[in-house]
Amino acid sequence: MSTLFVIAVTALALAIVVARRRTVAVVLVAVQSMALGVYALVHGFGESSAFIVGGVLLVGKGVLLPLGLFWLVRRTRERRLIAGELPPFTRGTVAAAIALAAVALTPSLGLDSRAADQGAAALVVLGVVIAVLRRSAVFQAVGFLVAENGVYLAALAAPGGLPAIVEIGVLFDLIIVVAVAAAFTTRIHDEFGTGDTTVLGSLRD
Amino acid sequence: MIEVLIIAAPACALLTGAATWLARTARQADLLNSAGAVLTALLTLVLAGIAIADAAHPRHGAWWMLDAAGGVFLAVIAAVGLLSALVAPSQLASSSRGLVRAARGRAMYYAAYHAFWAALIAVPLVDNLGLAWLLVEATTGASALLVAYSGTRGALEAGWKYLVLTTFGLAIAMLGIIILYVAIAAGDGTLSTLDWQSIARAAPRLRGGPAVVAFVVIIAGLATKVGWAPVHNWLPDAHSEAPPPVSALLSAALLPTVVLVTWRLVIALGPALTPGTASALVLAFGLVSLAVAVPFLWRSMAWKRLLAYSSLEHMGVLAVGIGFATPLATAGVVVHVAGHALAKSLGFYAAGPLLRHAPRAGERAVRGLAFANPTTASAVGVSLGALAAMPPSPLFVSELLILLGGIAAHEIAVTVIAATLLALGFLGLAQALVDGLVGEPRVRRWRSGRSGLRLRRLTVICGVLMLALTAAACLLPGSGVVNHLMAGIA
Repeated sequence: MSTLFVIAVTALALAIVVARRRTVAVVLVAVQSMALGVYALVHGFGESSAFIVGGVLLVGKGVLLPLGLFWLVRRTRERRLIAGELPPFTRGTVAAAIALAAVALTPSLGLDSRAADQGAAALVVLGVVIAVLRRSAVFQAVGFLVAENGVYLAALAAPGGLPAIVEIGVLFDLIIVVAVAAAFTTRIHDEFGTGDTTVLGSLRD
Repeated sequence: MIEVLIIAAPACALLTGAATWLARTARQADLLNSAGAVLTALLTLVLAGIAIADAAHPRHGAWWMLDAAGGVFLAVIAAVGLLSALVAPSQLASSSRGLVRAARGRAMYYAAYHAFWAALIAVPLVDNLGLAWLLVEATTGASALLVAYSGTRGALEAGWKYLVLTTFGLAIAMLGIIILYVAIAAGDGTLSTLDWQSIARAAPRLRGGPAVVAFVVIIAGLATKVGWAPVHNWLPDAHSEAPPPVSALLSAALLPTVVLVTWRLVIALGPALTPGTASALVLAFGLVSLAVAVPFLWRSMAWKRLLAYSSLEHMGVLAVGIGFATPLATAGVVVHVAGHALAKSLGFYAAGPLLRHAPRAGERAVRGLAFANPTTASAVGVSLGALAAMPPSPLFVSELLILLGGIAAHEIAVTVIAATLLALGFLGLAQALVDGLVGEPRVRRWRSGRSGLRLRRLTVICGVLMLALTAAACLLPGSGVVNHLMAGIA
């Protein structure tokens, strides 16, 4: 896997950290998923099962899930941007520092290139960072997708690829989780009038 | 024949869920739920019986396995799943503000419940780390919906926290599984590369490098689902906000089932690590979980929340037992899984009538229950006494076995720390037991109706089963069964 490709998909994750609007974040994660899906199709060309799995994943993660998230954004309109978050520049700096630390600390994972080792780790970490730094429930769901794209990048860079049943199973589980997250987000929005997850802070010991 | 049973047990749960979804009335849904649950539990218990009765000869298929360790966990999942399904109709509050429209609320509950149960039943049966991961992840969606079933603000918060934390944890575990797959397959892998036996066979040649990274990453990821500290934040909230039958299934079946996956990984991949490394990591999770849980057991706390922190403590005990990895400790782990399941389920089932008649018990510690309602007090007393490991609780024997196992493993320092933390936990729960039963009453008296009769029966059943387990636990050390259990993935 080329270093340039890994840098590009990682940069998309960083862009999600700094994005102000939820729709922009959904577009960015859709582009990231499509890039990984197209990579899978190109490299699976000539091998029917890999090509089919790549196609299913491209449609599922690059089209269906983002469409679901767009529906969610429309269903849970926010009157104004969620206040109290760190400024975009600070968020970007913190996320970039954490991603660089992940890149520097990642040992050899045995994937097809060092860039893939580091990119997979960075994307999983950035998914978690998005969930921690962003307060909107939709952003946290986008964080799931970014972390899962890190796992997918590792699967694509695994010599010989992953078994198809595992890849399809992971996609199926992801669709269920995002659907449940969407149900929660709409219910949270209906109950509290906002998708800001900091309102969920009543359970403390 | 066995393969048919292995497919039939989870399939029966899934079909029951689908049938209840299609039911036209709540009564129809209740009946389908009960009938389907009985059949599912019967099929699962037959499998568990075969596995335990013929522990010396584990059976394997193309994608499944049936061994002694899996049999014990299957029996627990079947028993808790059945009891939780049977008590559900009386414990589901009719609410107009549930997670979904009230008219479909009960149908959604049963569909999600049986999907959750089906995935749990399948986990001990699959002979593959990748498939086990898929099933554990599959439990997340269904169980998150169940946690938030009541639709209250607290339930939404608990469900969301559970969904976010466990999803990220499992994504991290999947990354570890891919690293492990790449290390074993070396460019020529298939699904069977992740079979437990394939991992065990490959482990000696994987020494160091990616195998260590894979092990640490997978265990750290799964720890979020087990609820081991310090990645346990969802556990107290989910257990306290979920409907009581769901809390019982979460605590008594889900957490131990994920522990089984980690246990199998420790046995299979442990030889790839420097001797003692795998045990040290699991022991660390165990001790930290105990240390985090104990201060909360000393605090005056709402009943279900107290049970939740007790779950954290007991998952810590299981980790310590797995980390010691001696025959005595292994015997202790098995008894602990079963004893904890019975005691904890009873505690959560008692929460139903308790919260119905004394809603404030959902916010603060219950006191003087013996004066308010002797039936509920009996259930709470048996549950809490057993969880505190008071003799003749099976948890007393299991904790003793685990500590003796620690001495046998020459882990004296860890054993002393664990024993101290367990003693402190015992004192905290003993105080909660005394205050809860005979403290100054905070709740009014209430008369037990039909639900009281059901709770009385449950208390007797769980009490008798726990005494039987204590007797069996005394016979377990030194028996051949323990060696078969230790093989884990043979």
